[in-house]
Amino acid sequence: MIKAYIFNKAIYTAIALCLLLSGHAKGSFVPLLPNDSSEISSIEKAVAFVDSIQDLAPSVFWPNVRPALFLENLKTNIYQPHSPYQGRGTNFCGYGALTYLFIQKDPLGYAQLLLKLFQEGEATYGATFFKPSTPIKSAAGKLSFKGVLDIRPAEQMWYLCLADHYKGYLNVLNRRYDPGDEDRMWASVNYAKFNRMVKKLLNYQSKAKGADLLHPLVGDLFLYISEHLKTGSVVLYINNRLVHKKNNARVKPGFPTHYIVLKEIIKKGNKITLVYWDYGGTTLIELTPALLKKITFGVAHYTKN
Amino acid sequence: MNGKFLTAMLSIFCIAVLSSSCRTAKDYSTHYYFKHELVLNSIEKSYSGIIKKTPFNIAFNNKAFTILTLEIKTDSITYRYEFDATEQRLTDTLIKYHLDTANIKQLIAAMQSIRCIWINNLDYYVDDKKKSLVFISIKTSASRSLFGYKKYYILTYFPQPQYFDEHGRLMLRRKRKEIHKINGGIFKRINDKICYTISEQYR
Repeated sequence: MIKAYIFNKAIYTAIALCLLLSGHAKGSFVPLLPNDSSEISSIEKAVAFVDSIQDLAPSVFWPNVRPALFLENLKTNIYQPHSPYQGRGTNFCGYGALTYLFIQKDPLGYAQLLLKLFQEGEATYGATFFKPSTPIKSAAGKLSFKGVLDIRPAEQMWYLCLADHYKGYLNVLNRRYDPGDEDRMWASVNYAKFNRMVKKLLNYQSKAKGADLLHPLVGDLFLYISEHLKTGSVVLYINNRLVHKKNNARVKPGFPTHYIVLKEIIKKGNKITLVYWDYGGTTLIELTPALLKKITFGVAHYTKN
Repeated sequence: MNGKFLTAMLSIFCIAVLSSSCRTAKDYSTHYYFKHELVLNSIEKSYSGIIKKTPFNIAFNNKAFTILTLEIKTDSITYRYEFDATEQRLTDTLIKYHLDTANIKQLIAAMQSIRCIWINNLDYYVDDKKKSLVFISIKTSASRSLFGYKKYYILTYFPQPQYFDEHGRLMLRRKRKEIHKINGGIFKRINDKICYTISEQYR
């Protein structure tokens, strides 16, 4: 018991040191990718596409992904673009936020990419070529005890592919997937990696403020966020343990743990209301300006090319 | 001599600490449930009844069990508000969302009386079928133990009888090949529909 306690503390300390030593994701405009071929599509085209898929044959590449369930999942994501659910207890929140932005930007491209991945075991989107490793192909469709993600094999396949493809410094010690790694450092997403994924996959113009251990230096945080929300998508990198507690520990981790896609921010007196997307739905919370400042480590602003 | 004495004292201290943290886990097994059976069952029954109309969950955020977070789930949005349990704003919000104000206030009082820190309705899936359970977390006195990092006594209430293996562990299916984990925890049998575990996290 004591050993486990000390081991946990050592792991947390090591992670904190890694975060402290990494200084990146500083605010900067990033040039557009020159070889991007993705097109912004409409939800109607995506609906027509998924509706046109009739009998889907089992894929030799994804032995545990059942075609009927895969298709149902794909249709759910297109008909209800807010529905992607990253799973209970996983480290997929960064991939979930990316997927939400992806479906907003190019639902047809998302559906085509996932279908090709399923049927051919590899696929290209824009300049990104996905060739998932063998352990990923075996794991997709088998994740369990994750809430509704259990019955969403297309999303399981997609999140596992993203975690397999994109690597950041948090993934250095665990680069190869083993069962259960979706809950561990293998799947974690540091701030720079998240911004890199959005820029490379979605070809968005990006402006990222903040870092893994440093709060963004933007003056009035509410003003900064609300101004940027008017001109594009805003993703906040927050310490969710302060607003969504899981225990009564006296010492809370002082680093961010969660990505949310902001939909609305309103200030009334000394209360700030945040409306955001995460976990397959929209949530509204009220915070004081001080708490907003305390929980926010990253404000990433994305605009379409 | 001094060295031996110090070693002996240190050993006694370690044994005392270990035994105290182990005792805590034992105390919060089935005994806790049977000691508070009536209150626990009434909390579950009341909560299960109220959420049929509008799903919500309640979590307490401070040691004194006076500040709570109320999460109300509607079709389009989840509202998460923080209140003092006695403030008028709580009542106004319950009325605004057409929740059963009187019963929810009673539920809050019952939760406070047994240090119930969180109550929620959780969905889970077996053979692609959606099922649900009521998840009740209780803050134990283990938090006073120096190394007692497992602090929460968790109870799960299922609407139908469950499967268990020979060690009393909750299993997923009739064949009893796979342990049914809930929030990463392994649960043990209290009766056919109620299980418990001790956890580091209350949700």
